[in-house]
This record gives sequence, structure tokens and C-alpha cells, in this order.
Amino acid sequence: MSAFQGRVSSALADATLKIAIDRTTNTARTKRAAAIGAWPEFAEARELGRDIKDHVIANLEYYLTQFEANAIKTGAKVHWARTGQEACEIVVGICKAANAKSVTRSKSMLGEEIGLPHALEAAGIERVETDLAEHIIQLAGEKPSHIIWPALHKTREQVGELFRANHTDPGALASVEQMVNSARRNLREKFMAADVGISGANFLIADTGGICTVTNEGNAELTTTPPRVHIVTVGIEKLVPSMTEAMTMLRLLVRSATGAELTQYTTFHTGPKRPGDLDGPEEFHIVLVDAGRTKMLAEGLAEMLRCLRCGACMNHCVVFRQIGGHAYGSTYPGPMGSVITPSQDGIEQFQDLPRACTLNGQCGEVCPVAIPLPKLIRGWRTKAWVQGYEPAISKTALLLWRFLALRPGLYQFASNIALRFMPIFARSGWIAKMPLAGGWTTYRDLPSPQGGTFLSQYKAKHRKAAK
Amino acid sequence: MSNAKAEIFAAIRKSLPSPSSATNIAEALAALRNRVNPTRPDRVNGAPDEVFLARVQSPGVAASAERIANLDNLPAAVARYVSKNNLPPSIALQPHPDLQGLNWSGLHIHHDIATDEPVAVGLALGGIAETGTLVFHSQPHSPTLFAFLPLHHIVAVYAETIWPWLEDYTAEFVGQTPPRNINFVTGASGTTDIEGTLVRGAHGPGWLHIILVEQ
Amino acid sequence: MKNNPPRVALFVTCLVDAMRPQVGFAALALLEQVNCTVDVPMGQTCCGQPALNSGDQDGTRQIARQNIELLAGYDHVVVPSGSCAATIIKDYPDLFESDPAWHAKAVNLAGRTHELLSYMNDVWGWRPKGVDCAETATYHDSCSGLRSLNVQAQPRQMLAAVTGLEMRPLEGANVCCGFGGTFCVKYPDISNAIVGEKAAAINATGADLLLGGDLGCLMNMAGKLHRDGSKVRAFHAAEILAGMGNGPAIGEPA
Repeated sequence: MSAFQGRVSSALADATLKIAIDRTTNTARTKRAAAIGAWPEFAEARELGRDIKDHVIANLEYYLTQFEANAIKTGAKVHWARTGQEACEIVVGICKAANAKSVTRSKSMLGEEIGLPHALEAAGIERVETDLAEHIIQLAGEKPSHIIWPALHKTREQVGELFRANHTDPGALASVEQMVNSARRNLREKFMAADVGISGANFLIADTGGICTVTNEGNAELTTTPPRVHIVTVGIEKLVPSMTEAMTMLRLLVRSATGAELTQYTTFHTGPKRPGDLDGPEEFHIVLVDAGRTKMLAEGLAEMLRCLRCGACMNHCVVFRQIGGHAYGSTYPGPMGSVITPSQDGIEQFQDLPRACTLNGQCGEVCPVAIPLPKLIRGWRTKAWVQGYEPAISKTALLLWRFLALRPGLYQFASNIALRFMPIFARSGWIAKMPLAGGWTTYRDLPSPQGGTFLSQYKAKHRKAAK
Repeated sequence: MSNAKAEIFAAIRKSLPSPSSATNIAEALAALRNRVNPTRPDRVNGAPDEVFLARVQSPGVAASAERIANLDNLPAAVARYVSKNNLPPSIALQPHPDLQGLNWSGLHIHHDIATDEPVAVGLALGGIAETGTLVFHSQPHSPTLFAFLPLHHIVAVYAETIWPWLEDYTAEFVGQTPPRNINFVTGASGTTDIEGTLVRGAHGPGWLHIILVEQ
Repeated sequence: MKNNPPRVALFVTCLVDAMRPQVGFAALALLEQVNCTVDVPMGQTCCGQPALNSGDQDGTRQIARQNIELLAGYDHVVVPSGSCAATIIKDYPDLFESDPAWHAKAVNLAGRTHELLSYMNDVWGWRPKGVDCAETATYHDSCSGLRSLNVQAQPRQMLAAVTGLEMRPLEGANVCCGFGGTFCVKYPDISNAIVGEKAAAINATGADLLLGGDLGCLMNMAGKLHRDGSKVRAFHAAEILAGMGNGPAIGEPA
């Protein structure tokens, strides 16, 4: 059993996990459907969003150059990192130069991807996760299981227990409201006391040199305004040409993620505090991270660089909704994770991800920037097959089947022999157990075949008719 | 150029060996911009301030709102809100000259904002009808934290500064250096992080009250 | 077309050929009702989807070339499966992108190929006449047919004309049943969890019959329903439309 299948088994055995997954993803799908339903122009907007992202990716060098120049003009310091490790070193270096004891962090999937939480802790810097879900995850010592709802795998009951054990004066924790209020009280002073605030970015605005964050809670602004230093870690693919394009992308992103039209807080951060401003950081650093983006470009995965990280693909994925995010064993789970992870961390180790997919196409259908996820997932299967990672048993079976499929006469002959034997295992029409069919019959009955093949029955009838 | 930057650019060049000219890129971008209008939600049919008021009170945004004839009526409206919600008659007032010039007698005014400030009163730069969004630009008379620290945020906005669509706002500032923060505020703070259930007042304000000023 | 009936090749698919020939005979019956001249090319095996979805592109191309040659010369090729039809219509042309000669042939075949239910509805505007089936039924939309070929309204419109048949909506009818071809045997645990939810939704409709347009998905759902002791019986929609609903359902002995 592969490590993936081991994680799948424990996930499927966890009834609480399934309750938690259903509660959030069911709500998310319902709300997205309502928001898209109320926007008849969605199909056109989606094509525009796709084309904007493709335009940026096709001219990545141009827009990165433009972004950097404009950011510097506003007083930002721009850093470049080839790898996650390099990005972490830059961030830790800035924190150390600022003598930072405490760092607040606003949720960023790139931060998770590059291992920033760990890097900060290893450097002895107190890390305060401020997004409610990331706060829950931090208290639990776990990793996110969804890119929009990192604590999706936790039920309210489990969150209540966690807060009771870790919060100062949590009070009653019977309702979700009480839990949210307890987190608000417990994090309040930490926002104001932090030396450095770290955020990600949903968009980089090339023509202003600014970055955009999208949150519901207001934690991004409370993370990035009070401290002396604001550091942004962001992937180089997050560019849009201008604020105008950001508006199209926001319409697509937010409806697809939470079903709202805009999140409560959409903030464009451009440069450090200005003369006369009463608040805001004195230093504003932007760390532009490659960490496999140019590799994806080289591997024919340019379409994946459109991704807005909305999470709609996983909310609609039948596999994700059974096994949850942790089973994938990667930073990014679900359909988008099944495309990104093999590129970032290797197809050999993560060959199960593209394979554990029914290719039903719903992910591609809901993607707000029309990423052909099933095609890209199947592309990884092709690479895995070519590189010889198909497990021996299924490879042998497939090659034998292919050999027969290319020889119709032999194929019919073999089929009819097999069909003659199968009813031996049947009881009143159904096969509950049969050699070599365990993959099917462990959970399902197999209908016994109706005599010989269609082709042989058809031929026999026609012979009769001809007589 | 740093090594990292040079290597990233070299890697991009490898996959995209023939970059387009700036002119071609600008043309392609202009063609994309021509496609924006038909994709906007077709809902700003009436006067922008009316659409805005309806939008901010819609279930998705769920702010409370009222209209006043002119800014002189703001202190009375604030006093009514404070008393109706049993809040202390002490407010953090955004240091905007339009607000400071008003008669706030009957309310205790301060200009610093506390971490757990119960009520703050501010003036938005404008609003966006399409989404029911308030827009703030950080500047000396508009500190960012005023929109994030209070539990109740009362915001005045002039009817004449309501833009119909998101792009009407961006068009107004094209070519200008943006302030440090542009904050779009669409309803009170909320979170769906526990089981997808929406709860207000996660870190930012739990209540947002919008006062549309007609003149 | 009445004066000059099209020559139609019936490509039954490997699953129908082996597991449920009755779907093939139902398809023949339907095609004859619209006066097609139907031929069943004896050289057919499989569309190649198992190879394609396992990443064996070279193998798929070999099978595709065999089918492209086999099916040349027919006015239409009709397939009683959205999934297999989509492989021929959508995937064959993609597979030969860098081979202009075969690409042209693949595109030509794609243009002549139809999924059975949409063919009967969209090309012929056909409706069943005098077909009785006094049962309640629910319909599952198989994913490839639904998303690649837009098969959704057509089977329902035709089934609405079956006398006595009461259709009941299925919650999540457009959500995958967990079959996924080789997926269901490579990851049986996950597949089982998915089809378990689907079976619960089917049972919740209270319908007597489960109908669909793809035998793979139907066998998956019917197999799960039967294992769990459900009384719901499953048919390919073509069987009901061809008046074969009084015969054995999937898994019932003849």
C-alpha cells in the first residue's frame, strides 16, 4: 500500500472528518452556485479572466520588470527568490535585521508552500497566525487541509475543545460565535505588539507596483498596518497588468471561493507609510518567489499558472470530499494540487495524486479561469506511464488488454471464453466474488454477463436471418 | 541584477524565447480592456447612490444604512445609533477636517483609536454601487486602523462619490501613485472558517453602519 | 434524409459488447425506427479509453488508428455511451495533433460520431411511440456525456414520452458516481465512498428504476445498490426507450 493509500484509509475511517468536510464544502458549493447564477455574464467574464492571465504569463518578463520598477518607485524593497528556501532566508533575514521578536502572519498559501512557518520558528521568532483557521491549525499543530478553509477538517466541537485548552479566558464555547469572539480577544493585543507583519498577495499590480490582499476577517490589514515592517511573499505568477484587470479577477475569485461578490476587505498595499500618515509600516518588502513556477512553464503547465487559489475545484471534487486535504500529503490538495504537486515535488513520489481522480470534469467546469484540470491531470498520468511508474499489475493488465484490443478476432475469442466462465461465480445474476475482480467486488456486486458478446449474438442472429 | 532575478528571467526566456514588443503588449492589453464592460454584473440600473444603498443592506453585505440630507446632520445620526445600540457615548473620530468641523456636543470625541475601541466614526473617500463597497485611501486624515479596530464602525459617504462599477473607481485614479493602502470595505468583518458558518466581527468591526450624505 | 437513409455504424463499446448486449440491441432497434441503414462493424473492440486514461498515449493512438480505419466511410457512427463517444469526438483529434494526416482523419471521424441518445433527439427529433413502462425512475447524468457532449436534456425529453413512466429528480444528478474507469479498481476505497453517497441519493428518490446513458457508471451504481440490498433496478435509457423495460434489469438473470 502506498503512503497515499494509507492516508486515504485513515481519512475514510474518520467519520468526524467526513462530517467536517461536508459541512463546509456543501455550504461552499451552494453559495458559489447562487453567486454564479446571479451573474449571467459569468461565462464571458471567465473567458476574459483566462485571457488576462494568459496574456500576463505570455509576457511575464515584461510585467515583472514593470512591477519591480514601480514598486521601487513607491519605496518598496523588492527581493527575488528562486526557491522556497531562498525566500525563507530572505524573510528571516529581514526579521532579524528588524530585531523582530514577534511576527504576525496573514494566511498565505505561498507561505505554506515554501515552509515559512517552520523557518520562522527555527529562527526563534514568535509566529502568530491571525487568520482564524490558521490560528486553529497553529494551536492544533497541524497543516492546512484546504486552501481557503485551512481548518476545514475540524468540526466546531473540536475547535471548541482546542480553544478551551489554549485561550486565556475563553468563556463559554458552545456556539461558533463564542469561539470567534474568544479568538478575537486572544489575538487583539498580538496584532498591535508584533514587530513584523507577513502577508501573501492575491495579485501584484504591475502598473502601480502594489499588491492586493483579499480577506473576510480584516486580519490582513491588522497584520500589515501596526508593525514597523510589512513583508509580502508572493509567487511571480500573481501579476495583473493594472487595477482594472484586478477588478475582473476579483469578481471571478471571490464568487468562486466563498460565493460573496467581494470579500469584506480587499486592500491594495503600495509602498511603506507616507509622510504624515498616522499608521502603516516604515518598511515594505516584497519577496517575489519562483519556487517551481518557471519549471511549470517549462513543463507545459502554463495553464496552471492562471490559478487564483479559489478552492472551487476541491469543493466540487468527489475525491476531495471523501478524503479531505491531508490525505494528499501535499501543500495543495484536490485537483489543482494534483497538477501542481507532481511538478513541485516529483511525479514518482506523488504519482497517486493525478491517478486518484475520476476525470469527471467538474473541477474544470467550475474553475473561474478555465484551467483544463482534467487534461493536465491526465498529462501527469502520461508522464508517469512513460517514465515507468505505472504499477506492475495494472501495467501488465493494460498491455495484455491493449494487445487483444488491437487484434479484434482474438479479442472476441478471448472475451467469449471469459464470459463463459464468469457466470460460474454468479448467484441469481450477480457476482459477489471472483478471482482478479477484488477491486470491484470488495464493495460492489458485478452483474453477470448476458451470455456471449454482443458481436457474437448479433452475428448469430444475422446468420439465422439470412437462412 | 541579483543572481536570483537573472536566473528567474533566464528560466522564463527559455520557455518564452521571443518576447513581444511593448507596443504589441499594449495593443493586446487594450483589446482585453475592450471586453470588460459586457462582463460586469448588469445591475447598476438606477442612480448609483440608490443602488449602493440597496446593495449595502442586501443579505450578502448586511450592513445597516440610512440617508441624511447633509453632513451637519451626522452627529445626530451617530448619537441615535449609539443610543439605539446601548453603546458608550464616546467615539473615536477619524481626523478628517469635514468631520472635525461638526458640532459633536453630547458625544465624547477622541482622535486616537484604541485596540478595543467600541465605536469609530469615519468618512469614506467614496463607495461602489455594484458591490456595496466603501473605499478608503490611507492619508493623514484617514488612518487605516480606523476601519479595522472598532467594534462598531459608522461611516459617512457623500452620495456624489458613489461610483457605479468597480472599474469606474479605478478609472478615476489611473496614472496616479496610489496611497499606501486602498481599503475596499464590503460589510462588517466576518469569518466562515469554522464549518463554513458565517460569523461577524472576526477581527475587524462586527457592525458596519453606513450614512449616505445627500449633499 | 428520408429518401436517402444514412449508413450508420453502431460502435457498441467494449462494456456493452461483453457485459450487456441488450443495450446494443436496444440501440439497433432505435436506429431502425429512424430508418437508418445500420451496420455493426465486426472489427470493433474498444475506443481505447482505458489506455488513454492510464497515460498510454502510444497505445491509444494504435487503437484510435484501428477505429478510424474501421469507421471510415459511414455517414454516422453511433455510440451508446457518452464517455466512449467523447473519446472519439474530443480525444482522438487531440491525440494526433502533431500528425496532420491522421489528425484530419480523426477530425473527420469526430464530426460523424454521435452519442446514441443525443443522436436520436438532436438529429432525428425522435420520440418513443406506444412504449409503456409503468414505473418511477430517476436519471443520473454520466460526466463525459454531460460535460464533453452536453447530453442532459435529450434523454429526459425522450423519456417523458414513455407512457406511464414517472421521472423523479435525483439530488446531485450531475455529480460523478465514482466509477472513473480504471479508477474504481485502482482506488476501490475512495470509489466506494463516492458511490455510497450516490446510492443513498438514488434510494432517497424512492424511484423503482435508475436510468443513465453509460453502462460503466450504471454497473457501478447498480452493483453498489445491489450489494447494499436496495430494490432499485438499473437500465440503460436506450433499453427503456426501445421498449425493453419489461426485460431483465442490469444484473437480473434472463
